[in-house]
Amino acid sequence: MSRFFRRRKFCRFTAEGVKEIDYKDLEVLKQYISETGKIVPSRITGTKAKYQRQLATAIKRARFLSLLPYTDAHD
Amino acid sequence: MRHYEVVFMVHPDQSEQVPGMIERYTNLITKDGGQVHRLEDWGRRQLAYHINKVHKAHYVMMNLEATNEAMEELTTTFRYNDAVIRNLVIRRDEAVTDESLIMKAEKEDRERKSRYQERQATDDKHEQPAVEEADDSDSDSDDSTQDDSEE
Repeated sequence: MSRFFRRRKFCRFTAEGVKEIDYKDLEVLKQYISETGKIVPSRITGTKAKYQRQLATAIKRARFLSLLPYTDAHD
Repeated sequence: MRHYEVVFMVHPDQSEQVPGMIERYTNLITKDGGQVHRLEDWGRRQLAYHINKVHKAHYVMMNLEATNEAMEELTTTFRYNDAVIRNLVIRRDEAVTDESLIMKAEKEDRERKSRYQERQATDDKHEQPAVEEADDSDSDSDDSTQDDSEE
């Protein structure tokens, strides 16, 4: 039993009833990548599997178009 | 006929060619019975990482309804055009015509900048209490819109 109160995770995409996660929505995508540029796992964020898959493709598309970094090590 | 979303990035030195390229590609699509549902010029944007030692690129996005042959032709032209440094083609279920989020963000940015410049210009000219009041209300409305977008 954890002694600290942990804020309940929730899936914002389910809550908002998002139809499709857009790779152009950089403000949202940025919230789901870590400081090093990795995609944050759903076990941390609480995103539902359906949306986590969409999120992953969206982030990968944005990375390909150089809208998001792959890593923080791009000089 | 299928719906596609195409994004291509043009080398910044070849930025002047963009209008011509857009025209050529739209002709290519429409002559085959296709349609361009949305066309956006995102302009020159900073890249998240360098591509071939290039730091900026000119982005163009098009939402198309086109035949398979036309799309094949389009992708080959991308491949043989040295000015196009990268392109992305994805399939869509329907025609998308709303303004994209990147375009919206860009516009807001531009507006904010121009408003800032205006404000500075007015501040320089005459410092009156009335101007300050107007400024306050301005910034308040800004905050409220930002809150809306975050929720």
